[in-house]
Amino acid sequence: MTLGLLLIVAFGGALLVYLPGKISSKLRDVWAVLVALAVLLGTATFYGKSVHDALSYQFLGLPLVLRTNDLSWFFAIAISGVGSFSIIFSLSYIKNRERTDFYYSLMLLINASMLGIVFAGDLLSFYVFWEIMSWATFLLISYNRGNALPAGMKYIVMSMTGSAAYLVAALSLYAKYSTLTFSAISTQITTASPGFTSFILILGFMVFGIKNALVPFHTWLPDAHSEAPSPFSAVLSGILIKMGTYGFILFLYVLVGFHQFSQLAWKAVSLQSVLCWLGAITIVIPTFIALMQDDAKRLLAWHSIGQIGYIILGIAYGTSLGVAGGAFHVLNHATFKALLFLCVGAVEYRTGGVRDLNSLGGLMRRMPITFIGALIGAFGIIGMPLTNGFVSKWLIYKTLILNQDPFLAFAALLGTWGTLLSFYKFLHNIFLGQLPEKYKDLKKAPTSMQIPILLYSGIIVLFGVLPGIPLKIIAGFVTSFGLTPLNVNLWGIVSETGTLNTINLSMAVVSAFFAAWVVFAFSRRSVPTTAQDTYAAGASIPRDKYQYSVEFYNPLYRMMGRYLRDVVDEFYGWLARVTQMTGEIVRRLYTGDARDYVLYIVLIVAASIGLKIWWPT
Amino acid sequence: MVAVLLIIVPLGLAFAMPLFNFVSKRIAAYLPIAAMVCNLILSILLLPSVMENTRIVILGGLPPPLGIHLVAGPLGVGLSGLISLVGLAVSIYAWGYIKQGAQDKYHALYLLLLSGATGAVLTGDLFNLFVFYEILCISSYALVAYLGDRNGVESAVKYLIQGSVGSGLILVGIAILYGMFGTLNMAQIAIHIDNVDSPALFLALVLLVTGFGVEAAIFPLNAWLPDAHSSAPSSISAILSGIAIKVGIYAVARVLFTIFGVAVVFQYVLLLGLATLLIGEICAFSQDNIKRMLAYSSVGQVGLIVFAMCIATPDGVGAGLLQLVSHALSKAVLFLGVGYLVARSGSMSLSSLNGIGKRMPVVCFACVVAAFSLVGLPPFVGFAGKFLIVRAALAGKSIFFTVLIGIVFLATVVEGAYFFRMVQTLYFKDAKRQIEYKKVPASASIPIMALVVFIVALGVYPDVLLPYLKSAAADLLNKAGYIKEVLG
Amino acid sequence: MFHQSTYFVGCVGLMIVGLYTMLTKKNLIKVIIGLSLFETGIYLLLVVVGYIQGATAPIFSRTTGSPAEMVDPTPQALVLTAIVIGVAVLALALSLTIRLHEHYGTLNLRKIRGLKW
Repeated sequence: MTLGLLLIVAFGGALLVYLPGKISSKLRDVWAVLVALAVLLGTATFYGKSVHDALSYQFLGLPLVLRTNDLSWFFAIAISGVGSFSIIFSLSYIKNRERTDFYYSLMLLINASMLGIVFAGDLLSFYVFWEIMSWATFLLISYNRGNALPAGMKYIVMSMTGSAAYLVAALSLYAKYSTLTFSAISTQITTASPGFTSFILILGFMVFGIKNALVPFHTWLPDAHSEAPSPFSAVLSGILIKMGTYGFILFLYVLVGFHQFSQLAWKAVSLQSVLCWLGAITIVIPTFIALMQDDAKRLLAWHSIGQIGYIILGIAYGTSLGVAGGAFHVLNHATFKALLFLCVGAVEYRTGGVRDLNSLGGLMRRMPITFIGALIGAFGIIGMPLTNGFVSKWLIYKTLILNQDPFLAFAALLGTWGTLLSFYKFLHNIFLGQLPEKYKDLKKAPTSMQIPILLYSGIIVLFGVLPGIPLKIIAGFVTSFGLTPLNVNLWGIVSETGTLNTINLSMAVVSAFFAAWVVFAFSRRSVPTTAQDTYAAGASIPRDKYQYSVEFYNPLYRMMGRYLRDVVDEFYGWLARVTQMTGEIVRRLYTGDARDYVLYIVLIVAASIGLKIWWPT
Repeated sequence: MVAVLLIIVPLGLAFAMPLFNFVSKRIAAYLPIAAMVCNLILSILLLPSVMENTRIVILGGLPPPLGIHLVAGPLGVGLSGLISLVGLAVSIYAWGYIKQGAQDKYHALYLLLLSGATGAVLTGDLFNLFVFYEILCISSYALVAYLGDRNGVESAVKYLIQGSVGSGLILVGIAILYGMFGTLNMAQIAIHIDNVDSPALFLALVLLVTGFGVEAAIFPLNAWLPDAHSSAPSSISAILSGIAIKVGIYAVARVLFTIFGVAVVFQYVLLLGLATLLIGEICAFSQDNIKRMLAYSSVGQVGLIVFAMCIATPDGVGAGLLQLVSHALSKAVLFLGVGYLVARSGSMSLSSLNGIGKRMPVVCFACVVAAFSLVGLPPFVGFAGKFLIVRAALAGKSIFFTVLIGIVFLATVVEGAYFFRMVQTLYFKDAKRQIEYKKVPASASIPIMALVVFIVALGVYPDVLLPYLKSAAADLLNKAGYIKEVLG
Repeated sequence: MFHQSTYFVGCVGLMIVGLYTMLTKKNLIKVIIGLSLFETGIYLLLVVVGYIQGATAPIFSRTTGSPAEMVDPTPQALVLTAIVIGVAVLALALSLTIRLHEHYGTLNLRKIRGLKW
């Protein structure tokens, strides 16, 4: 199987969804799942391979190249995994909605285009796939209508701004080196002036920062993630925004090279430290904004931004541990964030679209599998030992501590506290506490939703216990960037300054759990009572009025709410309004009076002659 | 001599229209189709041979520089191919769309418009260019007012006033050039022009560019465009946006590059193009009337094309030409499609089209593809155009152009914003009222889908156009080559 | 008679008068009259371009006169064409004006602004 064939299958399968869809929806579902799994399998066959295919097809006289290596494969397998899980989840989620053909087609198209991005071997094919991904994403974000429309607009406008920056960067490189293939550029750019390299990299930061939702380019993400259909939110948050991370790695390590990047500085401020600090800011502020969200998906969305901060921090730090941690966190965030979105999706599906944290509660007994999924996902994102999130965060902390960067390390730690607090709220308000009356008869999530939830939970624990499986590939590409090679075994990373060994950790955690269990087993059993008993001493009160999960962190809101406004978003909103107003003013030029138009003609003739006279050159 | 047929056939059929109408009332609608099929075939047949060497067709027996002659070069024949392709699609569309008024007059005027356009791109004589240009303009004034409604007539009058002033300026420019060089042959003028440096020459340049600029809709000469394009019948909007303004751009480019070739002016016109782009897109952004929005978007696209051409490198001109082709195809699709959307919903306001995509899937799909192409998204032809433009602009590695490209992209983002808003309106908004829409007739969906196929096919494989763009760009830019081809 | 440049001044003056009329008069008919004046100025300009002081009409049937003593015939041909075009435009403009008056009931261009912005 060649890369070209894989992409043809992926794209062809996506576009042909409409054919079986015309016949029956069952056939269409089968088709969609088959295509997704075929792509997953096809991607898997490229494990460990390094391919560099120049296509015989040229675009505008430029050769197109597809290539794969450890880096590409690592992202590709995550893409096709998250993609196919979401497709399976969609089977029941999307069943009774309209335009299902459209939905599946776009899901597969986005999958295919992301694969194209990571398999692209030159800046042009990268861009083509990137743009296909962008517009397809726009269409799918808008799918839910209503509030989703402004969210989609925000996304696409920012995305187009990014694409513009990309095109300028790519074609500036082309103007200089007359080539767009990564391999050729990376060998030639070593001689470039620092100014030129900085120019390219800053444009790159803009492009990928926007897609990656790095502060201050993050404002599209909370809206888009929360308004998209949940399985797609999983793709969006799990892997689509990681295309930005891939882009960062591509520009920083593949094209420019870390050595050159770390040299770039303007006076005392180096580009690298700017990126690191952007990462740190991205961790802290969005995480605490997330804490204040009442919409489950919005909370998850803000956390996506926060977690992206860890990834960028690790990658920008540029030590092999840091890069490995960042890259591993890409995979981990893909699993637990996708899992969490799917769990919310399942809840949303059963409760009829409710995702307001103030009105849910006690669903643990009604939807046990979903609860377990959410629990493991929350453990993952907090970074509890035995989940994969722990390993990647450990690597990032370790990098920061080893390099004696207390402020950045503190920022990273602060983010974890915020995460802990908000996921306590998330779990409690949905699954624990009282079950509102109206959800008494709620059914379990359908099987097609449970399968991906369980699979994700399994992966999280598996990679938490055996982090060596993904770290081996990561170590492969980290070495290829010219960084210090990592010594990876199945249980973790061996290094001089302290070995990560998940066996010891497992033992510690298991014994801690055991101790806790013992305490609970021998203490008094809790007695569940109804809300009436607690609040009204048995008197009759309106039902569902006294749900104690309402405004969970109320004092905290009052304390921090004022400071945690999204100033950047307000700025962009102002920018949009200014554009609109400019339009309103500028179009008054067209007064509607024919004589004014004649005047314009006379004036432009006069102006041209005048310019010639006063400006003789 | 075959090239003459490109003009003779539509022109002859236009004047024979009353005769045919005498025989049968229904035949009128078929004549434009027949003429355009003929022109399309001729252009395609001619194109490979003129790629090798330009053919000069002498009319009236006097060889150049004396008599009037046609220059069938890659640019002229290529553009006439584009004219007949879009013209064919629009005439098939009009066959089912134009149901009211004096249809034979509509089709006669339509044929005149197309023969004017074809003649203008093929001729090698400056005054002849003016005459064909006038044929194009006058028939479009009349066609804009075809429905006789308030907006149509009003915009036609405004269009006419501006157009006539523009034509007047062209005529003065021609008079000056003739007074100086005693010839109307473009190649002959181009020879002499390098040896003369006089203020009058500059005046002639300004007048010619301004005059043709009115039809090309360069800012601030474009005030007629939003009115005329939004008020005309949709088939005419499509042909005006797709073809008529392109002829204006061709004429401006011919004057700028082939006749004069003054580098300083390029930058000036380039900045005007940039202003056109920005103003067009910003105005389009604040429109609620969909046809007016599309019209302003045409203004913006014209600005982009002019910008690209005035980079004045072969790459830049080629990129501008590709963008010209892409805009002709995409905007034709949009106007044709929106014609039926507006007809069915009964209003031109965007909000009346809420959720219409479900009712009219084919037309809306075509509109979305065309809109994506205009914004420059792959895999549609607009992407190839924008890519080439940026590449050409950045090829000089100058900071000036990098900044300009930044402004171009600013406009592109604004353009994207309103086109994506349109896509959302068509598909993702809930219809306010339930109307049972009639099906769109095949006479509309077939040409629209055919153009969509072109948009996608050229977007996936634009390389097929590259050799033509290259020689067409050389045709415009290479002054010495042009003179040699024409005068021997 | 006059020097040739005087003719130029006259033609350009006529054009400017026409443009001035177009820019200042509110009435559509007057604007069209202005347009006509403007175009007439241009026609005259074209003729002047080909005019040679003291030369005769370019007709070969007369026995006297060599080509050098004749005015340039090409501009005259151009003017004829341009006049024909001008007449067509004028006719179209006036007929559209009638239609416009039916719709608006006025010819005041300040008021005929249904299409703007």
